[in-house]
Amino acid sequence: MNQPSQAPEGAVKSGGSDGLFLPDFCNVRVVFAVVIISELLAFVLTLAPTGARSDVWDGLSLISLFVQWVALSSTALLCLARPWLRRFGNRPAAGFSYLIVLAVTAALSEITYRIAHHADIGVVLPAYWHSGFLLRNLGIGAIVGAVALRYFYVQYQWKRHIEAEARARVQALQARIRPHFLFNSMNTIAALTRSRPELAEEAVQDLADVFRATLGDAHSQFSLETELTVARRYLHIEKLRLGERLTVEWDIGDLPLDAQLPALTLQPLLENAIYHGIEPLPEGGTIRIEGRLENGAVRLVISNPLPPAAQRTRSRGNRMALDNIRERMAFAYGGRGALKINESDTRFTVELSFPAAPPAEAPQEGA
Amino acid sequence: MRILIADDEEPARARLRSLVQECSGCEVVGEAANGRAALLMCSSDAPDIVLLDIRMPAMDGLETAMHLTTLEHPPAVIFTTAYGDYALEAFETHAVDYLLKPIRRERLEQALAKACKLTRAQIARLGAVSGKQRARTHICVRRRGNLQLVPVADIRYFQADQKYVTVCFPGGQVLIEESLKALEQEFGEAFTRIHRNALVANAHLAGLVRQPSGHFQVSLRGIEEQLEVSRRHAPALRRRLKDLRA
Repeated sequence: MNQPSQAPEGAVKSGGSDGLFLPDFCNVRVVFAVVIISELLAFVLTLAPTGARSDVWDGLSLISLFVQWVALSSTALLCLARPWLRRFGNRPAAGFSYLIVLAVTAALSEITYRIAHHADIGVVLPAYWHSGFLLRNLGIGAIVGAVALRYFYVQYQWKRHIEAEARARVQALQARIRPHFLFNSMNTIAALTRSRPELAEEAVQDLADVFRATLGDAHSQFSLETELTVARRYLHIEKLRLGERLTVEWDIGDLPLDAQLPALTLQPLLENAIYHGIEPLPEGGTIRIEGRLENGAVRLVISNPLPPAAQRTRSRGNRMALDNIRERMAFAYGGRGALKINESDTRFTVELSFPAAPPAEAPQEGA
Repeated sequence: MRILIADDEEPARARLRSLVQECSGCEVVGEAANGRAALLMCSSDAPDIVLLDIRMPAMDGLETAMHLTTLEHPPAVIFTTAYGDYALEAFETHAVDYLLKPIRRERLEQALAKACKLTRAQIARLGAVSGKQRARTHICVRRRGNLQLVPVADIRYFQADQKYVTVCFPGGQVLIEESLKALEQEFGEAFTRIHRNALVANAHLAGLVRQPSGHFQVSLRGIEEQLEVSRRHAPALRRRLKDLRA
């Protein structure tokens, strides 16, 4: 069912868009593919037997007829049943479709036998052949059905994998451009230009540094030193904006500053901390950043206060950013990188750990 | 024109202050760092125009605008924001204008001029809020010309009595003119109906007390009073208690 020339409609083949991994059997292309495959199967079944056969073409035509009949009836039933199948998960739906195909095979085998037996179409089927005919067809149907289902499932998984990867890339790009921070910073700089021009100048330079890091390649890596510098610049700008409401406590031990980590891991966490932790509180609060080297792994802990539960907004953006960082850590370190979240009544803590030694495959150097 | 500036960031307020001072005929009569403060200042000083930042702690700009419409002399509302993700909701509140930070002086002048041209009646009509609203974070009550803001998180129960509803919180009680049904719809997540005439706060539920008469009463943290639970609502309340304890 996989035609080499895949137009965008080819996506229809590899699972429907409703999340069911089975292709949409109501679609003309899919039905056409079913016909072709069935015919090929008929060919195989005709060519296979080594015993003498009266007339190959005669056998082929009968077998084609039967196979097509079973195939198209199954397709029609699966097309009709799709709305019903969709309600179940993939596994039950697979089970049911398998049963449908087997049931159709059995039913049509039975009907064919009776027709051949009672009507006179020039085919003589011995009486004892009844169960054999039925079982043989069921056997073929079972094997072909199982193979087909496996194929559809694998293709569906593959498609989903590609989509997930594309989405991660888009997210990586989007997560970097945070309009809230950008425009608020610009507003702060505009204000400082009148009241404290020297601070405005500093802020512009800090902002340039942060965005230089932000706009870099999604898959590059920074040294820990760079990452910490970007974080400091970012917090400097935010301190100008929030004034007394933001207090930052740095508690960084002796860390290997040349350790590599995925670009922009720390700054987005601090951005979240401020957006969800400091800004909603009228009096603001304290962000703590702790860094330790433990057993060859760097452990960074970022914690921020939380507003009372009633005021917390479930933020998709927050979770997306955390998932995004988790994914990138997994990509860079496999199992050795981790992101742990701890949410108490009053404080939100994110713990990042990654190996201090650079990973085996040397990635590109970041800023 | 008397103008109130509401923004949680000091540099943003400072900039708006100096911009407004450059506009002829306008003066800044006050500055607020959040919605609550803005509301209280509006009720006591009655400015003509309020420049309202949307994203503020305690009470955001949209909710503040909603409460402002209940004042005797509601000011014209001009929203300010760094990023336009609340544009739709803001337009639904029929604000005079919507400015993006950093704000250009010409743009601010335009918005202020627009506000100046409106008569009081037009402002009152414009202030009406439409569309779906999020649950309020404060109940706004006017008492002898003063504005009292009761945080919803402090409220223990709402009790209906004829046309009015009593709002009970540790500091006391106030009366508001809203229907219990509307309150139940708005605060359904945080409050449970225990009786045809009472809504209690989930966060302050202490427990159910069985009376000798066989009826149940619910006790709430922080107040002595216990409220009667109707038989019809008792199962739902028990389920809520179980969910909360879980």
